[in-house]
Parts: sequence; structure tokens; C-alpha cells
Amino acid sequence: MVPPKPVPKTKPRRGIFHAFKGNLEALMIGVKYFIDPKRFTLIYPKEYNKLREGYRGFIVLIKQKCINCASCARICPAAAMKMIRIPEVDEKTGKQKVKNWPVIDYRRCIFCGYCVDVCPTEALYHVPYHDVVYQNMAEMYLDLESFQKPPEYKAAEEGIPVRYIVDEERGLVKVPYKEGEK
Amino acid sequence: MSGFVSTRGQVGFNDLKIPGAWSRKIGKDLYEVFIGPQHPGSGHMRIIIRIDGDVIVEADPDMGYVHRTMEKLGEGREWIKGIPLYERMAIHDACNVTLPYVRAVEQLLGIEAPLRAKYLRVLLCEINRIAAYLYGFGIFGVFVGHSTMYMWPFGDREVWIELADWLTGARLTHSYPVFGGVRRDVPADFTNQLRKAIRYMRKRLEEYRKIYVDNPVIRARLEDVGVIPKNLAIELGITGPNLRASGVLYDVRYNDPYEVYDELDFEIPVFQEGDALARVWQRVEEIKQSLRILEQVADWLDKHPREPILHDRFWKTAPPLHKKIFETEGRAKLVPLYALLKVPKGKAYARAETARGEITYYVESDGGQKPYRVRIVSASARNAIVFKYILPGHRVMDLPTIYGSIDYFPPEADR
Ligand code: SF4
Ligand code: SF4
Repeated sequence: MVPPKPVPKTKPRRGIFHAFKGNLEALMIGVKYFIDPKRFTLIYPKEYNKLREGYRGFIVLIKQKCINCASCARICPAAAMKMIRIPEVDEKTGKQKVKNWPVIDYRRCIFCGYCVDVCPTEALYHVPYHDVVYQNMAEMYLDLESFQKPPEYKAAEEGIPVRYIVDEERGLVKVPYKEGEK
Repeated sequence: MSGFVSTRGQVGFNDLKIPGAWSRKIGKDLYEVFIGPQHPGSGHMRIIIRIDGDVIVEADPDMGYVHRTMEKLGEGREWIKGIPLYERMAIHDACNVTLPYVRAVEQLLGIEAPLRAKYLRVLLCEINRIAAYLYGFGIFGVFVGHSTMYMWPFGDREVWIELADWLTGARLTHSYPVFGGVRRDVPADFTNQLRKAIRYMRKRLEEYRKIYVDNPVIRARLEDVGVIPKNLAIELGITGPNLRASGVLYDVRYNDPYEVYDELDFEIPVFQEGDALARVWQRVEEIKQSLRILEQVADWLDKHPREPILHDRFWKTAPPLHKKIFETEGRAKLVPLYALLKVPKGKAYARAETARGEITYYVESDGGQKPYRVRIVSASARNAIVFKYILPGHRVMDLPTIYGSIDYFPPEADR
């Protein structure tokens, strides 16, 4: 392999006809995009961006898989994931005991995804959306019950899903989302 | 601060000395203008200029408005939590600004990322670099009143952000490199999309040239404005594309190659003139080189099969479930050890080339779960001083031009 090498450069020269040629070129390109503009604005909420699998969106707990190890709370850089103590009855012995369960505080979460990645049993997963509305701040601190349900995604109920793909000629283009795509 | 209200000398200007903004009596017919920190043309900083008519006589960059005590906050958190924290210095350049931190800690741990992880780091670094340059172009465009150049780069930046999003799962705050590797492998079909983006960007740069860089109107405003002579650039210790546009060959990727930069075939363009136009050209040329790097990285990734992207120290303790997820989804799960990581006692130093220049980290560990000290010197902090020396002598209308061409980013400078 070849290592990087320095290359001295100078600004392109300004020819005699630069003022004429340059202006003409700039105008021509303006005309080109006037006739055929490149637009990919998302008409939200009529459309919504169907994000790809693997997007680090809101987080949901699968309680059955959780082994109460607290790894997620320990690694959380924003202290958004917290363990709460919930008393419950042991099925086998019938005795009263206290267990720790993770809950999330979306006022603090920065969606780094460390908790999902560190969970040894895959008890946490990301939903691929992030435009979720809460009525007030207190609601953003979920309890164990609401942490197990994917948050309500209003945009998906009203809008049509689109997806952005890279095109060689036009850069980012908006295409309708086809069912089953990842 | 009341001493700053007037320049007519009622208040004792001779005595007023505040770090970064000291002032003195200048004389008759001199006005002091405060640009920022709320001014749209200054970002989160203030430039205090003293003008005689329309000509800037003196300029003082006054930074610190977005200081977040980042170094101190880092001392109270476990090692891995530093990554999302330091990333917030320059979120649109996230991989570049956190990479030296990760590398410094890796030095202390005595580990090195696997080869594939190194390529993946370079991949995201270059995607970030292009996106950050485009961001700079957009801001620069709107500064000089060219709103097309504001819309276009921001639109094209989305291409790179979309790719980064696909790779890492987040648009800007990727938190992608971790100690001993990276968090995700490339998704299927990623390299093909990347190649399309590369080809698209090449065409697009030509269009940028036509409508902006070589546009006679813009050229007239940028040419020979804000010249940083070579010796001044060295003396002030500025860095990054601004330094290279002044004819100094200094790029960390070249002078002190990290990751796999010494195996890649690319050029370090060095412009000689040092004016605002040369700085724009410098960035255009560097985007071209970044595209070249990305092409090689895409080829490499296609040729080599998927292999672990975390160092064995972490990967060998991973349970079978982790390995299965890596096989199927390409997601390298973190072992719980990361949260409890103890870094051996010692000092380490690492640097990297970000979109705005060299960033250096000095990391000291006392053997505990949290850093003893993390010292960061960011590129923008080093570039800020340049305003003081090159603004005087220019007209006020040149201030946005110079400010934009320096591509100064206050949150990175203030930390
Ligand atoms: S995504 Fe990050 S910030 Fe949010 S709960 Fe998980 S670890 Fe904490
Ligand atoms: S890391 Fe996973 S298993 Fe452990 S407490 Fe959190 S959710 Fe439960």
C-alpha cells in the first residue's frame, strides 16, 4: 500500500474571460436546477421517515428476558436508566421479596444505545422511531408497565412511510417504503 | 462589564483587563462594535471589533459562551461514559473528536483494535469529515449572502448523515468507537450505497465550483481577503485546513498516522496563498481526498469477510448470544466489563485530525474506574486567535467572509 503524500496546490488562475465565463457557468447551473429542482423535503406528518432497522430510537424492555443484572443502569452515561425496587411474591416459595427492575427516564436519555448493547440477554431493544410526543415532563419518566410497551407512534397512524436512498445522480431521494424492507 | 458601553473614554478603559476581552482607550472617532454572542453571524462567540469608519482597527475574539466544563465532568464518570460526553464538543464530527480519547485509553489498556475495526473507524471518520466540511460550506455560504450555497451543502450533507445513520444507528451522536474496537459492522449493501454517494459527491463538487467557488462575484469577495501568511500561521499555532491553506504541510494523518491512514493512498493538498479563497479550495480538495479514502475503505471491506470488531480482551468473554447477534445483525454487543472497566495507572497522549484541525487528548489514570484527568485541546480553540491578527485592516463586510472561511466552531473550542 502507498502512504499519503503531500501535494502543493494553487488556486486556479483567473483567465481573461473569467468574469464572463464564470458568471455564465453559475447562471447555467442555476437554470438547470430551476427547471429540474432536487427536492427531498419530508412532508411531515403526511409522510414520515421509515427509519432503518438498527436505528437507535426509543427503548422497550422485554420483562421476561430480564435477569435484573443492572448492567444497563450501570453503563448509562446520562443516568437515564434506573433500577427500581418492586416487591413481588415468589411463585415457587410463595414468599414476599423485592426485585430490581430497570426503568427509563426519557428526560435524560441521549439514545446512545449502550444499555441495549450491554444487556446480556437482549431484554432491551430499540424501536426504529424517535418522534414520540409526551404531554408533560413527568410522563417521560416511564414506570415498569409503560417501559414494556413500544411508545405510541402517532405519525405512523396518519402518514405514509417513505425511505431515503442514495442515488448517483440526485443524491438523496425519497422513495415510498415497501413493506418488508429492512 | 459596564466599561464596555462606550468608547468615548468616560469609563476607565485603561484599567479594564478581562481575559479574552481586555480593552483600552483608542482615541477619537473610533467605535467599538460587539458582534455576538447572539449575532447570527458569529455563532456562540463574540468578536469585539474597533472600527475607524468602516475599517477594522482592532479585533478581539471573545470565546467561552458555550463552556460546559467537559473536562471536569469527565472526571466524574466511568471511562466509557466519556465517549458520548466528549462527542458533544462537535456532534457533526463525532467520530473524529472522540477517536483520540479512545486511542489514548487503549494505549493505557495495552490493546489495539482489530484491523477491520480500524477500517470501520476510518470509514466513519471520513464520512464525518465530509459532512463537517459541507456544514462549514453552508454556514460560509449564508455568511456571504449566497443562500444557494447554504441550501446545497446542507442537502448534500444529508447524504453522508444518512450513511452514518445507517452504519451506527444515529444521525450525529454516533458513539461509534469504543475501547478495543467499534460497535457495529457495515450493513449489507452499505458499500454499494457508499460508492453511489462518492460518485454523486464528485459531480456535485464540480457544481459547487461553478456556482460558488469560481463564481466571479464570490471570488471577488474572497480573493486576497484574510490572508494568513505562512510564518504567522506557524507562530499562532493554528491548525487544520486553515494551516494547510497557508502553505504549511501538517496533517496528523500524514505526520503521525493513526488507524490505517498510512496504508491508504491519498494526497494532502497544501495551498500556498493563505487567503479565504484558498481555504475554500483547500476544503474542496480535501473532500476529494476523503472520497478517495472512502473508496479504498469500501473496497477493503468488500474483500474481507466479517471478523470480530472488538479486541479479544472484551470479545473472548462474550457469551454465545453476543456472537450470534454479531453474526446475524453485525452488532457487536458490549460485555458488562465495559461499565466496570479499570484502566491501569499511567498517562497517555493521542491526537487525531478532525475536520477543523488537530485535536489532542492527554489522559491520566490513577488505576480506578474513572479518569483522573482528561485534558483536551481542540482545533477550534487553537484557531480562534487568528481573528485577532487577521481582521485588522479589513472592512466590516469582510468579517463574515473571514469568519466563515476559518470554519470556526465555538462548541468545540469552549468544550
Ligand atoms: S440509550 Fe444511553 S442514555 Fe438512554 S438509557 Fe440507554 S444507556 Fe442510558
Ligand atoms: S441489562 Fe438487561 S437483563 Fe440486566 S437489568 Fe438491564 S434489562 Fe435486565
